[in-house]
Amino acid sequence: ICFSVVRTPTDSIVAQRRSKNKSYRQSYRSCLGAASRLGHTPGWTVRRLNTSRRTKSHNITEKVNPEHLALLVKTEWQLSYVTPLYQFRHTQLRSYSRQLSAFITAEKQQGLAVEVEGTQTSFRVSFSVVQGLGETDDDAETVLVQIHSKPVFAGKDEAQKLVWSGWLTCINGNPEYLHSLPKDFTCLPLFGSRGAENLTSLVKSWFQQTFDCCFGPLEINQTCQQWLAALWTNCHIESSIQHLKMIWTLPVEPPLQITYTVNPQDAWELWNSVRTPLLERREEEEETARSIDIEEVTRFMQGLMSHFYRHFRLDLSAGRLSQVSSALGSAKFSGRIKMSNSRYVLTTLSLLTECALLKMPI
Amino acid sequence: MSPLLHVVEAGTPVQGNDELEKNLVQVEKVAYSQGLPPEAVSIMLEFAMSLRMGKTVFASASKWVNWGISMRVFRVRKLLELQSKLGRQPFLLHLLSLYKVFCPELVTLSIPSRMKSGFRNHISPWKSALIAVQKRNGLQGASSISLVFTNKDKTNPRKRKHCHLEFPALIPALNKEAQSEQSSSRRVVPLVELHSFAQLLENMHRIELPAQMGSLLGSSLALQYLDCVQDESALLRLNFWLGYAFHEEFLFCGDGGPSQTSEEALQFLNKLLSAQHFLQEGFSSSEVFLYKFLNVWDGSLLRPQILGLLSNIPVVPSSQIRRLLFEPLMQLFFTSSLFFKCGLMECLTNMLLKWLTWHSIYALEDDLDISLNSHTSINMTLSGFKDSMMELIHFVGRLASVGLQLEGCHCLLLSFVLDFYETVCDTFLKYGLPLIVMPPAGVFYPALFATDPVSVDRLAYIMHSNALNVAFHISRQTFREFNHYVVVMVNCLWNSRMFHPGMGVQLGEELLLKSNVPQYGSSFDLVHHPAFMNYAVNFHQKCWPGKKDMDLNSIKHSKPWSWYLEYLFTQGYDGLKHFVQSNISWQLKADDGQVDSQQR
Repeated sequence: ICFSVVRTPTDSIVAQRRSKNKSYRQSYRSCLGAASRLGHTPGWTVRRLNTSRRTKSHNITEKVNPEHLALLVKTEWQLSYVTPLYQFRHTQLRSYSRQLSAFITAEKQQGLAVEVEGTQTSFRVSFSVVQGLGETDDDAETVLVQIHSKPVFAGKDEAQKLVWSGWLTCINGNPEYLHSLPKDFTCLPLFGSRGAENLTSLVKSWFQQTFDCCFGPLEINQTCQQWLAALWTNCHIESSIQHLKMIWTLPVEPPLQITYTVNPQDAWELWNSVRTPLLERREEEEETARSIDIEEVTRFMQGLMSHFYRHFRLDLSAGRLSQVSSALGSAKFSGRIKMSNSRYVLTTLSLLTECALLKMPI
Repeated sequence: MSPLLHVVEAGTPVQGNDELEKNLVQVEKVAYSQGLPPEAVSIMLEFAMSLRMGKTVFASASKWVNWGISMRVFRVRKLLELQSKLGRQPFLLHLLSLYKVFCPELVTLSIPSRMKSGFRNHISPWKSALIAVQKRNGLQGASSISLVFTNKDKTNPRKRKHCHLEFPALIPALNKEAQSEQSSSRRVVPLVELHSFAQLLENMHRIELPAQMGSLLGSSLALQYLDCVQDESALLRLNFWLGYAFHEEFLFCGDGGPSQTSEEALQFLNKLLSAQHFLQEGFSSSEVFLYKFLNVWDGSLLRPQILGLLSNIPVVPSSQIRRLLFEPLMQLFFTSSLFFKCGLMECLTNMLLKWLTWHSIYALEDDLDISLNSHTSINMTLSGFKDSMMELIHFVGRLASVGLQLEGCHCLLLSFVLDFYETVCDTFLKYGLPLIVMPPAGVFYPALFATDPVSVDRLAYIMHSNALNVAFHISRQTFREFNHYVVVMVNCLWNSRMFHPGMGVQLGEELLLKSNVPQYGSSFDLVHHPAFMNYAVNFHQKCWPGKKDMDLNSIKHSKPWSWYLEYLFTQGYDGLKHFVQSNISWQLKADDGQVDSQQR
């Protein structure tokens, strides 16, 4: 806003007010204007998971570095959600490696300063990009963090071992939300970690201090677990699930834990029987890329629960699903996930990215 | 001084070397009185590091480092070498901490809590010596560097649970490389280093924001800076942290929210409230949080704080205000205690006041072109703003009407309700918004028939203020309402014609007779009104001290009547006074007939 210098004093006060007006607006902005950042449903105060998702399996073994892939699958990760990182640069990964290295070493040896550029750190950290994991251009590239260290009583020539690993990712993140963030922010809302708890908290502290972000626990809630059960069962023809196992906790005294394992063929038949007939669906969907609706998932779960009720007179819906697992992976309510087959990594991470984005405070 | 240094440079062993000691003392004396130039400091430093027992000299050397010599990497390496030789020494830690503050990309350090206290005692004499020398040389006091020690207290399990409520430490930004793209040449001053408003103003153009924006909430200086600069990313960072803290503490914590007030939550909210109070506005993340929280709140957890935060939300567009605000509040209101009702009334009064204040400062003569968010096109025009105001005022009217019924017209609640309507009266004259709203019948009549005189007086004041309002542009409907109320009041308080046809409250003749109240028309006039009866009795005793039979009607004769009114007005009932003076004109009749009044 420019104002002519010729204005008389009283006018210039008005002029100043006008410019203050515009600048005042930014801090006084009502969150209601920022609806785009707050979710994809009309009732933005209550955000929900997508009610339908595609089931296409992705053969990513060609696209992704096999070492990275080997690290991701067959490992159980503890999940957290992360608020967007400020001024995170994918080009600065080497510098971040050094900084985090020095930070961890300094924390471990309290009172002894550590040179950041130096080589005498007892922990070696490496940041790397997992390329080929993303699907859209909106998603920021997945970042992998690995910490190697020499065991305490190691010999001189013993190599450093991998003691901790973690990753930050965003797969199929809601484009509206991603676009609503200013350019200096990188949205990598899903964080998975594996290794010693103290290292995990050190890594989180470093991220918090360096990129002004916040880490919070991400639990895998009922809906999400049910989705995974359905998605896995859906893949049975392609890759056998071998079994569908569910662990339920019932709120009785003492608490009752029920492990309910379903034969894969039975699960598959039940799943097929609850699917909305193909005729009712859109023409252009191929069999392999059919999407699943939440109603189908709900019917599937109800089928499983009513079968259990018929036999044991216990209504599982009164309890809580604390774990689902199959040969394709496992998911626990506490936020632990394991993806056992690389074909379904993207689908699983998409679902979990959605869960993480639902936890964004604004 | 240089010859001295040359002597010292010889690398002579320290112990038992009196000559060296004498020279060192001399150098120190000069240092304390005048200060040393950077080159001298470098030399002293290198010398100290080459000595085998360099402790004493080195101790003094550290404060010379303070004086803004350029930090070069090799010095850090030397220090680290020394550290590996000597181990954890306090003076070394001090020096290295300085490096950590100024050049975090070179060195990092973590200080355990048990070392911190010994530390502080060690630094303070040097600090004061340093400041003294600087003062003498007329240098700036920017070296009053407070070393921020990160809180290492991990032993307290309770603290760990609420760690999301802990405000981050105010440390300078660590991610300097990213920022160096923008601010390559000019020197930036970390916000951490500024301690007064004057310093802030001086360095306004080159301030570097801290590592974590959440740390600013406790510092009014930092908030002032934030308010002026309006950096979108900075505010977003702050809101992310704040929103995260809110969600983790109150919304994500398992079944239905926290059950008890924790000390940390209370402190957190109080700190936030004072920050909002300082800035005179709320944060968008607290607004988002409140809309969610109102749906799960029980109305009693941290009530004053939550209501305080609620009063700070910005103007809600009228299309959303019912769903977001009114519906959850209604549910809370009708099932709550008297104190909640009063608290909510107060909160909504404050909200009204803040919206009015905002309008009066930022409105221009033409339409209010205020985009509430520069990214979207929600513009709040003046008419949109008025709509929201009307919605709020009518909502409070409904709440008040039903609330007063539920609580049996409790005088405490009535008092808060009248507060609200007093604010509404001021809308036009004080704040320039052409919005005139009469209290609803559910508020008017309970106030008129209230058993405490203050409420009646306040009602009279409200009606009087509205009289001034209606002199300006007003709708016919509102004018009719206003007029009706005035007529009712005059007839009730003055003309003893309450309950007569057309006087607001319609009661059938038989019902009135059944009540066995003689002369029901005058049952609420200024003499017989329950709120004023004790004044009437007092007056009667003072006026006719001898009279044995109390006949309050005798006050109604013209002379005692005017004395009685005088008496009432001296008791502080200004509202009544203004109302009477502006609405009623009467003449004293020659005989002792009843007072005749005319409405103006």
